[in-house]
Amino acid sequence: MAAKAKPDAKKTGKVLKKGLHQRKHKKWTTVRFRRPETKVLPRKPKYARLSVAGKTRLDKFSTFLQPLATEKALKIIETFNTLVFLVDPKSNKKQIKEFAEKLYNIKVTKVNTLIRPDGKKKAFIKISPEYEGVDIANKIGII
Amino acid sequence: MVKVKASELRKKDQDQLKKQVEDLKNELSTLKVAKVAGGAPAKLAKIKVVRKSIATALTVIHEKKLEKVRLDSKGKKYQPLDVRGKRTRAIRRRLTKKQENKLVLRVLKRKQNFPQRRFAVAK
Repeated sequence: MAAKAKPDAKKTGKVLKKGLHQRKHKKWTTVRFRRPETKVLPRKPKYARLSVAGKTRLDKFSTFLQPLATEKALKIIETFNTLVFLVDPKSNKKQIKEFAEKLYNIKVTKVNTLIRPDGKKKAFIKISPEYEGVDIANKIGII
Repeated sequence: MVKVKASELRKKDQDQLKKQVEDLKNELSTLKVAKVAGGAPAKLAKIKVVRKSIATALTVIHEKKLEKVRLDSKGKKYQPLDVRGKRTRAIRRRLTKKQENKLVLRVLKRKQNFPQRRFAVAK
């Protein structure tokens, strides 16, 4: 049997008064309390939420809804070498330019867009002068 | 035009299917132009067929993508959400058959030991 150490009277007195586990309080030096850093575990999902990547919704086919063949549009094709299309409202000028070049094998210098009062987006696609707007329109089938 | 059949599409592989979708989409864009420029009624009627063909092709592509995932996760406790089946939101939140039919042990024992007896009168 190990010899029992004589209990320190002072210590026991303190424990009785304040409890066995005494947490040392940090001194707060600021007025506001900020949450201390806690443990953040990395994610380890037990199953995938989306196991297969979905398809991109805005591809070259879905940007161009239809070409415009109104009188004004035809005039613009002839005089300004510019095609007029109704375009997906979510597409932007850069996309329109890229996809127009891919789809119709043309070189686009500039795209202007506007949103019609009925919510559709109209794109004016200016073609570089090496291509004839009327020819391209014929090829696409607008005229 | 005849609608593309899913059974035929399933024989193809992913690249062929993607190409098929591209061709169909090209066709659809020309049909849409024809609609604007006043096309023949035959062409206009074709639009619906082509749209539905694109839809079936995309469905088959998605099926094939999920095939491998399905095999890997078969029998596992936790399956990816798109393998589990969409059904409806309410149905997904219902109790499973097992959970519904669960009985307290006491009741289970009672039922096992004292089943509902059926008697018939002998002729």
